[in-house]
Amino acid sequence: MNKIYDNVSHAVIEPDIKLFELIDAHPSVVSIFARLNITLPFGDISLREMCDRDNHDVELFMVLCKMHIDAAYRPEIASFGERAIADVVGYLRASHRYYTSYMLPHVARHLDDILAKCDALSQRVLRSFYDDYMRYVLAHFEEEERNIFAVIENSKYSNSTSCDCSIMERPHGDIDDRTNDMASLIIKSLPEHVPTPLRCDMLKDIYALRDDLRTHTNIETYLLRPLVESLTKQTKQ
Amino acid sequence: MRRYRVAIVATSAIITEGIATILRRGGEADVVLMGEALSDIVPRLRSADIDLLIVDTALLRTAEPHEELDDIIVVGLQTSLYDGDIARRMAHAITLYTPEEEIQRIVTEAAEAPSQVSPQESHELSDRERDVLILVAKGLTNKEIASELNISPHTVISHRKNIVHKTGIRSVAGLTVYAVLNKLIDSEQL
Repeated sequence: MNKIYDNVSHAVIEPDIKLFELIDAHPSVVSIFARLNITLPFGDISLREMCDRDNHDVELFMVLCKMHIDAAYRPEIASFGERAIADVVGYLRASHRYYTSYMLPHVARHLDDILAKCDALSQRVLRSFYDDYMRYVLAHFEEEERNIFAVIENSKYSNSTSCDCSIMERPHGDIDDRTNDMASLIIKSLPEHVPTPLRCDMLKDIYALRDDLRTHTNIETYLLRPLVESLTKQTKQ
Repeated sequence: MRRYRVAIVATSAIITEGIATILRRGGEADVVLMGEALSDIVPRLRSADIDLLIVDTALLRTAEPHEELDDIIVVGLQTSLYDGDIARRMAHAITLYTPEEEIQRIVTEAAEAPSQVSPQESHELSDRERDVLILVAKGLTNKEIASELNISPHTVISHRKNIVHKTGIRSVAGLTVYAVLNKLIDSEQL
């Protein structure tokens, strides 16, 4: 079958899949490699070989891939132990760094290019909106690191018998709304003379950021939280 | 499309779990809160960023008014034959016998439907919608806007849904920028 013309990937994610096949079938997983500093070139190695080389749990890595590929995917966590919690928290922390060091600055650079074409009022309100958005997102990340990740890690290291999982019950909708709002403003409210290619460049990055943040939320909600709840139950028994 | 956040309150855990399972299978909702008493759930609606509440009509029959319900979409869940009158008065309602796909459809429509208040298909804001948008940009709450414009809070919510639908903008910060860029408001007024 000629994979170039497939509009539905038939590549099955399994430990022995070649990394280049995985990326070819599901380009969205590239960001996982970027945030975990998994070095290229891959050559011909498989997912299992890369995980062995870089000390990643291959089953967990496959779950993360699937969550990046399919927003509706809900992982089974029964086979994961305590190590998985540390690995997932590590992944989420790496994701925060990826957003703050890479994705958000990309969006900011595109905004600078757009604002250079706008009048003073548009520059002021859009810059203010974006700065406020950045502050909000960074504060959200800091709060997660302090009040969720650190608490989970302390529960483990202090042999505490429980972790209050309600700490993970926090709204993420506001970040999603503001990210979508940025896109809507770029599409609908910029002055007409702002060139379309500049708008499109920014839109591509905004939507990539939005989708990645949603996956991030799903990993917290449908992977980390069930893992912590499961471990807490086991510890109590 | 952002997945909408749902809370479910019903007199039976079997019912809440069943509705939650159906909505999760639909793939468009995140069921964030579940409970058996309005008094447990209502105080958490705002902090949990809930978009839509599915509530057992049996609980509404005896419940005191909750201001927090003015700001979100409510779908009635008729669990008793005796609550038909309550369910019929609600804009959106399901029963224990509503098929799964119909439940998903009704809840999705409730979450996404533009209001009946402004039936035009145009993406231009109506005069009233502009009035509401300006007051949102100035930081007024739904109740304050309702008082200012002499309309009900429910009508304010309907107008805001239309504004979201037409502008694609949901947050107060975003609507403020929209209002300034479209010269509906002077930035000095903020």
